Amino acid sequence: MNARLLLKYWRTILVVAEMTIRQQLMDGFIIFTVLFQPIIIALLALWMLKGKGPEYAIFVVVGSGLTGLWSSLLFISGNSINAERWSGTLESLVALPTPFEVIVFGKNLANVIQSLSSMVLGYFVAAFLFGYDLTISQPLYFALSIFISIFAFISFGLIIAPVFVMNPGVRHWQNAMEFPVYLLCGFLFPIALLPGWTTPISYLLPPYWAAVALHGTTTPGTPPNEIFFAWGMMFVFSVIDLLIASRLFKLMLYKARADATLGME
Amino acid sequence: MRIFTNNLRLFWDGTLLSYRALFHWLRPAQYVASKVFMPLAQMFFFVFLGTFATSAANAGFYIIGNAIQITAVSGIFGVTMSVGGERETGTLPYLFGTPANRLVTFFGRAFMHVLDGMLGVVIAFGWGVILLGLDLSHTNLAALGLTIAVTTLSTCGLGLLMGCLSLITVNVMFVNNFVYFLLLIFSGANVPLADLPNWMQVVSYALPLTRGIAAARSLVAGAPLADVAPLLWAELGVGLVYGLIGYFLFSWFEFEAKRRGTLEVF
Repeated sequence: MNARLLLKYWRTILVVAEMTIRQQLMDGFIIFTVLFQPIIIALLALWMLKGKGPEYAIFVVVGSGLTGLWSSLLFISGNSINAERWSGTLESLVALPTPFEVIVFGKNLANVIQSLSSMVLGYFVAAFLFGYDLTISQPLYFALSIFISIFAFISFGLIIAPVFVMNPGVRHWQNAMEFPVYLLCGFLFPIALLPGWTTPISYLLPPYWAAVALHGTTTPGTPPNEIFFAWGMMFVFSVIDLLIASRLFKLMLYKARADATLGME
Repeated sequence: MRIFTNNLRLFWDGTLLSYRALFHWLRPAQYVASKVFMPLAQMFFFVFLGTFATSAANAGFYIIGNAIQITAVSGIFGVTMSVGGERETGTLPYLFGTPANRLVTFFGRAFMHVLDGMLGVVIAFGWGVILLGLDLSHTNLAALGLTIAVTTLSTCGLGLLMGCLSLITVNVMFVNNFVYFLLLIFSGANVPLADLPNWMQVVSYALPLTRGIAAARSLVAGAPLADVAPLLWAELGVGLVYGLIGYFLFSWFEFEAKRRGTLEVF
């Protein structure tokens, strides 16, 4: 996956994203993962953090939205290739002249955009149900952070999907990977609360940098340098993820064709 | 006597086979991931969030609440899938075609999950003591064990009802997940019930787990069994009501499915 492919196939990516969103609107599990679960977590966190003051409400809105983004990436984007396999369309997609990773990129784009709706809904819950006055202290930087985070999440998802396909053993741990990332990435509380040895692990996770950027742009007084650094880290991780994903897709398709196991678990 | 022995054998065979069938397609790694690591990670997340919200001194409140709440993994997901799995795997017509006692068959689906759920809670308390410094020195451990057993039974009662509903709905996982996450709010595991609006408190007391969690907190604080006995009886009662509603629905669905010829229709 590289910038040339993204530019050449941008229309394909958008069509795949549109079709994915339409299809997933009918799936109860996906609706729960991208919408209901983050809202329930937001409600819980708003009650739990009530004593911290109204300024934490926006922190909860952003943090619970990030939990939705990660869960969607893990369960929906992670299974984006397997889902085609289960529905018997994988062989046809692989046989298309369009590179397969372009299609998965479009599917991941749909998942990430869908998940962001939970952040919007969380905003309304906090504002209308709890009566908080929510303000984003640096709106322009926040919008840019959202854009960069979307790219970072999609790129990360491009690694997860082929890894789950090639290593069913890893996919068995899918359920156990959800909450540790909530913990390690500081979505709803600072990672300083965790034991010191976990900090380097947090630094290696792109969602952590997304949380730093998004929380930073909504919290008054965050120095711009901190936000720029988080953007830089997301950019670096995205490039690395895309390079690794490119290799993984080649390897996956080669193995599937050589072993004739494309549609088999 | 012969009828009793037959029903006992049916209960045991049914409970064991349905549990083995449920985990047949899972590998040990998936069991450990779903039943050990996932609940523990969830517990740690809410304990850290809770201590961030209040103070480290309140860690016990969140550890106990979330440790007991772990029983819902077996009680809701496990039991529902044991009952609903009959439809998914196409074995429902055979089950309804047997002359087996329905009460024994139905409640047998939950038995192994009760044991499994209790084990999960004990593991969670173990991690709470070892890693999070939960103090059980003033706790009547036998009474705590009884509380865990009663709460697990009661949660499995709700699971049996959900399992029945899974026989008539396509979105089983949506319903399961929704109930599981709502319990995180309504059970008082993470938010003191007094902080919830009145209507939510009413709902909380109509659900399993709520009284079990309250009883466990009292016991860890040093209360004797006699003090929490009313909570435990009420918890058991709530579970029994859900289980019986589930059983009657199960019987009704069987009757209707046979009458309309809609067995396994999705």
